[in-house]
Amino acid sequence: MLSNPYINALLTVLGAVIFIVTTSLGLGYTARWIAKIRGAKARVQEGAFAGYLFAAPWIIGFFIFVLIPLCFSLYWSFTDYRVISNEPANWIGLQNYSKLLLDDDGFRQSVVNTTYLTVLGLPLQIGVALLLAVLLNQKLKGERVFRMAFYLPVILGFNTAVLLCWRLMLNTGTGIINQIIRGLSNLFPPFGYLNRSGIFIQELSSAFFLGISNSNFTLLRKVWEVGFPSEVRVPLWVQSPLWSKMPVVLLMIWGCGTMMLIFLAGLNNIPKELNEAAEVDGATKWKQFWKISFPLLSPYIFYNLVVGMINALQIFEPIFILYRDNQPLVPSAISMVYYLWQASFSHFEIGYGSAISWIILIIILIITYIQFKMQDRWVTYDLY
Amino acid sequence: MKKRNLLVLLSLMLIVGLLSACGTPADTVEEPADAAVEEVVEDTTEEDTSADSEEETAPVSLKIYLLDYTPDTIAWLNSEINPAFEAAHPGTTVQITEGSWSGWDITFSGFFAAGAGPDIINLGSEMNTLYGESLADMDVYLGEGAWDDINNFGPALENAKYEGKLRGLPIFTAPRYVFCRTDLIEASGWASGTPQNFADWVEFGAQASVIDEVTNSLSQQALVPVDAGSMADWQWWLLVYYSLGGELYKNDGSPNFDSAEALATTEFMLDMRQAIYGSALDAVGSLPTGQGSVIDVNDETSKDNGAVCLAHSGWAAPPFDRPIWENVSIDPFYGDPENFPNSRPVVLAFNDWLAVPDYSENKELAADWLKMAFSKEANHKWNETMGLIPARNDAQFGYVIESPQLAREAELAAEYGVGFAGIMESAKLSTIMQEALGKLVTEELTPQDVVEKIQEDYIAALAE
Repeated sequence: MLSNPYINALLTVLGAVIFIVTTSLGLGYTARWIAKIRGAKARVQEGAFAGYLFAAPWIIGFFIFVLIPLCFSLYWSFTDYRVISNEPANWIGLQNYSKLLLDDDGFRQSVVNTTYLTVLGLPLQIGVALLLAVLLNQKLKGERVFRMAFYLPVILGFNTAVLLCWRLMLNTGTGIINQIIRGLSNLFPPFGYLNRSGIFIQELSSAFFLGISNSNFTLLRKVWEVGFPSEVRVPLWVQSPLWSKMPVVLLMIWGCGTMMLIFLAGLNNIPKELNEAAEVDGATKWKQFWKISFPLLSPYIFYNLVVGMINALQIFEPIFILYRDNQPLVPSAISMVYYLWQASFSHFEIGYGSAISWIILIIILIITYIQFKMQDRWVTYDLY
Repeated sequence: MKKRNLLVLLSLMLIVGLLSACGTPADTVEEPADAAVEEVVEDTTEEDTSADSEEETAPVSLKIYLLDYTPDTIAWLNSEINPAFEAAHPGTTVQITEGSWSGWDITFSGFFAAGAGPDIINLGSEMNTLYGESLADMDVYLGEGAWDDINNFGPALENAKYEGKLRGLPIFTAPRYVFCRTDLIEASGWASGTPQNFADWVEFGAQASVIDEVTNSLSQQALVPVDAGSMADWQWWLLVYYSLGGELYKNDGSPNFDSAEALATTEFMLDMRQAIYGSALDAVGSLPTGQGSVIDVNDETSKDNGAVCLAHSGWAAPPFDRPIWENVSIDPFYGDPENFPNSRPVVLAFNDWLAVPDYSENKELAADWLKMAFSKEANHKWNETMGLIPARNDAQFGYVIESPQLAREAELAAEYGVGFAGIMESAKLSTIMQEALGKLVTEELTPQDVVEKIQEDYIAALAE
C-alpha cells in the first residue's frame, strides 16, 4: 500500500477531481436522457445537458456537504449515538426530543438566555446600525474612513486579540468602559444616578431571567431587597453571573457593521427629491427622517431583522470566546447553540446534540415564518 | 489552439506534481546529539533487524498530534527524536501536527467518529475515562513484561491507564500548589505564613485583601485560585475537597457529594469568596488585568500585580529567573485538620500524556516512538524545553534539582500529589458543578442546595 504522504495527497486531489468530473457528466447525461424521454428537441436536450453539467459541482457539493449530513443529523437525533463510545447508535425514538422539551433544565436555561440576548441585543444592534448609517449618510468629511472603521469589527471577527482587548476594556476596576462611567459620574452627578439606575434595572432584569431559567426567584428577591446600588457601584461585566449577558450584547452591537452597510445602501436609494420637497413644505430633518426615510427603509429593516434574528438565535461565538476559560459564568450566559456545542463536542452526545439542532431549526423557522407573515403590516415596498 | 495549450500545460503540471511526489523527502537525519537517544536507537535498531524485511520496505507515516507545545519542544522533537526514529525504522516518516487546547475536543471527536486520525494523540489528565474505551491497550508494548522502563514512571502513570491497562505514557506532572508572597503576607499583618486551615484562610482572605476605594475594586487579592473573579471553579473545589480527605465516589461507586467533606468544601468556597469580594449583590470589582503572573511585580510600574497567594499550576507562577522568587513560598493546600481529621496536604496533579487510539494501524510503531521519546534522557530533555517536572522519576535530575523552585515542586508532588484522574463523565461533572457553583457565588443557592444539586444531577448523568 502506498503511504507516501505526498502521493496520498495528490491521489486524493486526483480522485476528487475525477469524482467531480464523472458525477457532473453523469448528471448532465441523465438530464439529457430525461429530456429525451419527455420528447424534447435535440437543442433542448443539449441545453439540459450543458445546464446540469455546469451546475453539477454545486449540486454535488450540496448533496455531500448539506443534504447527506442533514439526513444523518435527523437520523442521529432519534438515536443515543455517542461519538467516543464503542457501542453502535441505538434507535430511541423521540426520547431525545421529549427529554429536551420536558426534562432538560439546561436547555430551558439556554432558550431563556437566547431570548434575552435576542430581545435586548437585536433591537440595540439594529438601532445602532441605523444611527451610524444615518450619520454616515450626511456626507461628512472622512466618511469613507468612518465607514471602514465601523465595518472593521465584522472583518476582525472574534479573534484572540479582539477578546483580549474586550477583556481589558471590560475589567471592572481598570477597564476603560468603567473608567469612563466613573469619570462621567464624578463630573456630572446626574449621570452617576443614571448609571446606578441602569445597574439596578439590569440586575433586576437579569435576576428575573435567571429566575425563569432556574424556576427559582431567590436572586430576584435578593436584588430587590438590597435595593438601589450604592454610589461606588459600577457594572461587573465579566465577573458576575448577573452581568455575564451584557458583554455579549455589547459584542453584538460592536459587530453591527454589515447591518449598517445595508442601511446605508437603503438611504442612498431614497430619491433626494422626496426630502427636498418635504423641506420646501417646511418639514424638519427629524420629521423628514420619520415620515420619509424610515418608512422607505422598512424593507431594509425587515431584511436586517430577519437575518439578525436568525443570527441572534444562533449566537455562539461571543459567548464561547468570552467565557470558555471562565467556566463559572457559562451557565448564566449559555445560548442554545452553545448548549448544542456542549452536548455534541464536550459531552460527545451526538444524538442529543442533533436533536437540539433540529429544535433550534424549528424555532428559527417558526419565528421567520411569523416575521414574513407580519411584514404586510409595516413593510412598505412602494418605492421599489 | 488555446485549448490544446491548456491541455499541454495541465498535463505538464500533473507530471511535475507526480514526479515531485515520488521523490523521498529531503534527508534531514542528523546524528542524535543525545546519548539516550543513541542508546534507544541502538535498542530499536537491534529489534528491527529481526523484523520482517517486508515491513522495512513498506513506507509508513506515523502521525502524532500535539497540543500547545513550545517551539523549543517541537524543534527538539523534529531535530533529534524523529530523525533518530526514522533512522531506526527505515521507510517510516514521523509527522507532527500541532493543535491547540482551544478546540481540541471538536478535533478529537472527529478522529474518533471517523475512526481515522493520528496514531498518537495528546490528552490531559482526566481524559483517560473520557476516551478510555476508544484507546488501544498498550500493555503488550509498554507494560512491565514488555518494557522495563515503565517502572521508572511516577504516579502520573495512573492517569494514562483505563480499566487498569496502559493507553499511553505521561509526559510531565504539573501539580497545583499554593504560591504565596511572604513579603505581602507580612505587610498585611498576618504573622503565621501560609494559612493551614479553613478558618485561617477566611480570616486571611479578609485581612490581606485590599480594596481600592476609587475604583471599588480589589487592588490586592489574598488568594487567587483558578478563575480569580468567581473563585468558584470546579477544579479548585476538587482540590479543597481532596484536602479534606474527600473521595469522589462511595464504595458502591455512587457519587459522594452528599458527604460532610463536600458540604464543608462548598461552605469554605463561599466564605472565601465573601471574605474577599463581599456579598454577591454588593461585590467589589476583580483585580486589574495585567501582564505576567498575578503574584509577580510589574517591571514598568514596580507595582505588585495584586495576588498575595496563588493556588494554581506552576505555569501561572512567575518564570524561575524572576527576582520575586526570593519572596515566594511554595506549599500544598493543607485542608482543615482541626475539623476534619482525615485532612491531608494536597497538590492536585495534572499532566499531559500521549495516548494511542484504538483505530491506529501502527500501534507497535507508536509504542516504539513512545519508548524513544520517553526514555530517561528524552523525557528529561522534553520537559527541560518547557521547564516542567518529568513524569519519569529517574528523569528528575539536572535542571529539576538545580532549580530550587522545581526541586521544591517535585518534592511536594512526590509527597502530596493527588491525580486529577479517574473522574467518570468528567465533562458532564464539570458542567454540573459549574452550574451549581455559579449559583453559589450569586448566593442564589445555599451550600447545602449546591451539594444536593450536584449529587442529584451527577447521579442522573452517570445513569445515562
